Amino acid sequence: MFHELNDMRKQRELCQNRKASVLGALLASAAMLLPLANLVYADAAPEKGMVGIKYLNYHDSQTGDTPLTAGMSRDRIDVNALSFMGMVPIDGKWTIAGTFIEDSVTGASPAYHGWGFPAETASGASGDLRHAGDLNVTRYFSRGTLTLGTSYSEESDYKSLGCSLNGTLSTESKNTTLSLGTALNSDTIDLDRDTVVGGKRNPDPGRKTVFSGLLGVTRVVAQNDIMQMTMTMTHGYGYYSDPYKDPDIRPGHRNMFTFMTRWNHHFEGPNGTARLSYRYYSDSFGIKGHTFDAEYVQPLSNDWQITPLVRYYSQSAADFYVPTGSDPLVMTPTTGMAHYSEDQRLSAFGALSFGIKISKEFGDEWLADVKYEHSQQCYDWGINGKGDPGIPTFNMRAIQIGVSRKF
Amino acid sequence: MGGACEILLDGLGKKEAKKLSALGIKEVGRIERKYSRYRKESIVSKINAAAGVDWTECDQETAGLLEYTEMLYQSSGGLFDVTSGVLRRAWDFDKAAVPDPEELFPLLPLVGWNRVERRENAVRLPDEGMQLDFGGIGKEYAADAAAEVLCDHGARHGYVNLAGDIKVIGPRPDGEAWVIGIRDPRNPAGLIASIPVGAGAIATSGDYERFFESCGRRYCHIINPVTGFPVTFWRSVTVLAPLATTAGSCTTIAMLMGQDGLNYLKETGFKYLAVDQSGRTYYHH
Repeated sequence: MFHELNDMRKQRELCQNRKASVLGALLASAAMLLPLANLVYADAAPEKGMVGIKYLNYHDSQTGDTPLTAGMSRDRIDVNALSFMGMVPIDGKWTIAGTFIEDSVTGASPAYHGWGFPAETASGASGDLRHAGDLNVTRYFSRGTLTLGTSYSEESDYKSLGCSLNGTLSTESKNTTLSLGTALNSDTIDLDRDTVVGGKRNPDPGRKTVFSGLLGVTRVVAQNDIMQMTMTMTHGYGYYSDPYKDPDIRPGHRNMFTFMTRWNHHFEGPNGTARLSYRYYSDSFGIKGHTFDAEYVQPLSNDWQITPLVRYYSQSAADFYVPTGSDPLVMTPTTGMAHYSEDQRLSAFGALSFGIKISKEFGDEWLADVKYEHSQQCYDWGINGKGDPGIPTFNMRAIQIGVSRKF
Repeated sequence: MGGACEILLDGLGKKEAKKLSALGIKEVGRIERKYSRYRKESIVSKINAAAGVDWTECDQETAGLLEYTEMLYQSSGGLFDVTSGVLRRAWDFDKAAVPDPEELFPLLPLVGWNRVERRENAVRLPDEGMQLDFGGIGKEYAADAAAEVLCDHGARHGYVNLAGDIKVIGPRPDGEAWVIGIRDPRNPAGLIASIPVGAGAIATSGDYERFFESCGRRYCHIINPVTGFPVTFWRSVTVLAPLATTAGSCTTIAMLMGQDGLNYLKETGFKYLAVDQSGRTYYHH
């Protein structure tokens, strides 16, 4: 008798569960049928404000793993950065958002191809405290947004100020959004310092002005697919050389062009989202770069979320890059050249990065995340341009921890 | 349910049809008892009574309904707001008088779905005096749910009609569609269209359902939660959609959006028939 009652109860529960899920599905499909229920909100100002704090620990090193670079293994730069960010919505139509970063850099990058580190850890280019911040004001309209931004960055030998204006405009159906933006940056480099190489020392600072313009289109191509294309053109003129490197005279202007395309696809089954992107870069230094990015965001139970990511980057060398010869420790002659540099960042290489980000929401208000990324860059990993075998392999890892709260 | 309701079943014996329709009526009754704000024991009355005070536990079905209202709010840019029923305290259609601003405006701060607090299995209205009202969804949802029950029990031909919002179970036994007449919004006896519906649902919102006229103006029962005043652009909007819930929501959102409602209707991709204040008709079929 007891069993029978139990069975009946179970049967009823099953029945009720089935009913609840049928009705639930009914309402969910009723919602799905409404036009772009998820997207119409795109231009609405956020209802809640946010404050957050992030800590970043970055470390890089080089490995001399070829006969040419043997003995060049060493640690290079360590960065510890703390950033604070906040966003306040005002009156349902405006937001003010700001970030403040303080980071300290220790260690140094090589003065020549892969060697020539200052004896002390603090050189002109490092052992530094940097402060940076930005402030953005956004106005939300029914079919678009307008953002005015300013930024600054300051360290002992370098100061940068910037302002920007960005706008978005959506079609009536909200499934296509056009982005337009422009920015101006003005940088000042102190050249009147002991650590600046002899020939470049100057009581007048080096100055650089950079303009850029951006044009982008984002389109919802299907219920679960969003595509974006963005083009950025940048023109800069002024002091581009590195004051701490000796055989290093660069052109006085630099034009850059990037074309970025992204595709986000949402998978209904696992409820995850794949984000794929490709970026083409080209500049008047002669560098051409290709970046392939892929990440996958998977929400898990109890508000956990895991995002693995992988990135591949390849670039060709600048026209005026001076490769190492048969002995990388011997300086390559630059006689007769108007522009020249041994900076390995201007050489051809390929880089592969892996990372993972784990985040958890606590209620509706708190969010914590931790991200780890490791990257390795090698002279012969590129797909465009022949690398320089005299450049040691470069390794980087970064750990970032963040906490934010909505209010 | 405020209007004539019928369940029509075809292709069954009389006895079976009676038995089945009783199940459909039971389902409609269940939803009315659960979600009517006029019934003291309803979950809606409980949530409203606890406004400004406490959380009210809600079951899966109610949570689903609340999630749906969130989608409505988003889809309509905040115009379809289930907390706007409180404005009826000022708009008394029996009194047939335009309310004084002193009466109406203090109610506007009580409207705001975005402020309603929700947890997985509970809901709370933040301010005393706030109200939930599923009047704009409940009837259509009941039609869908009743049709679902009937379908589950073997009904294949017929429809559920709750005061003009119709969910079709299936076509006539000969495969022909049901022909649904759309009322002329200015002539209660006349029709402006007869629409064949073999599957899915059809719903109509109109300024003629509940209204009064004052100083030559018509004030209908669909109230814009932002202005606190009844909508005026459309006389009636009819939508055909796979579900009555969706069809009904689309007609109400179009009424609320006024002129922009036409773009909204186009975006839905559904068939529609809309009549504006000058009597001009717009349709997509």
